[in-house]
Amino acid sequence: MMSYIFYIIAIVSAAMVGFLLRLPLLPERPMRQSWTISIVFPTIIIAVSLYAMFDYFKIYNGIYTAIIIGVFAAVFCRYLLEKLVPIPDRGDSQ
Amino acid sequence: MNEILAIVLGAVLSWLNFVLIDIWMGLPEAPGVRGAKAIGKSIEKRDGDLGGGYFSGNIVCSPDASAGTLLASCCYFAFHSPAGGLIAALFVYFGNRICADPGYAGTTGALTITILIWATSYIGLSPQNFIVGIVIAILTIQGLYHPLVSKLIGKMARKMNRKVIEPE
Repeated sequence: MMSYIFYIIAIVSAAMVGFLLRLPLLPERPMRQSWTISIVFPTIIIAVSLYAMFDYFKIYNGIYTAIIIGVFAAVFCRYLLEKLVPIPDRGDSQ
Repeated sequence: MNEILAIVLGAVLSWLNFVLIDIWMGLPEAPGVRGAKAIGKSIEKRDGDLGGGYFSGNIVCSPDASAGTLLASCCYFAFHSPAGGLIAALFVYFGNRICADPGYAGTTGALTITILIWATSYIGLSPQNFIVGIVIAILTIQGLYHPLVSKLIGKMARKMNRKVIEPE
């Protein structure tokens, strides 16, 4: 059984830390062409998916895990994501 | 539920999920990579629609909502839980980023099909119906007759205000 409340805690934690790290709430419009990393996409998606992984495999679960995963997701998106999977050069992609 | 009926229903839901999300996310507007452009132009040359061709090309070249739908269905089945669909969304997102794609279509497709599988489990559909369903759905787009399918996709794209933007 999924512990929905902890997923919500992970989302809130990621969103709060994202705000503190000055991530925008949403990518700029048109969103479908934007590469901007924002709170809604992909910070919250990463937080929820990571918590699902920890919860399903019974590595750790509960309120502290949800908070720590939320913080990690926001810090990861702010500082590491673009280094790990950089935005492609226009010349490379087209 | 009768298994054949369940597979047909799974195929219809998967088709609608991936086609509508991919069009909404602008796949028919422009090719994401050179390969997608080549596929689009080739389909246009064979009396197809350029927007529909770019749509097919983009699906081939990066994991969009079609791959998101397939992977989320597989993970939901393997994990016996909606957590599988959520985990699939993470891997689809990173797969998208590696393939020069911002990742909106694939991730959204994975999350929406997870919700759909969870909701339809109450009327007797199971994740394996969706796995077969999405394979059939992708076959109808990529494997039968490109010119006709590309015209249908092009028409749907124009209705959803996603017209082709010619790359320079």
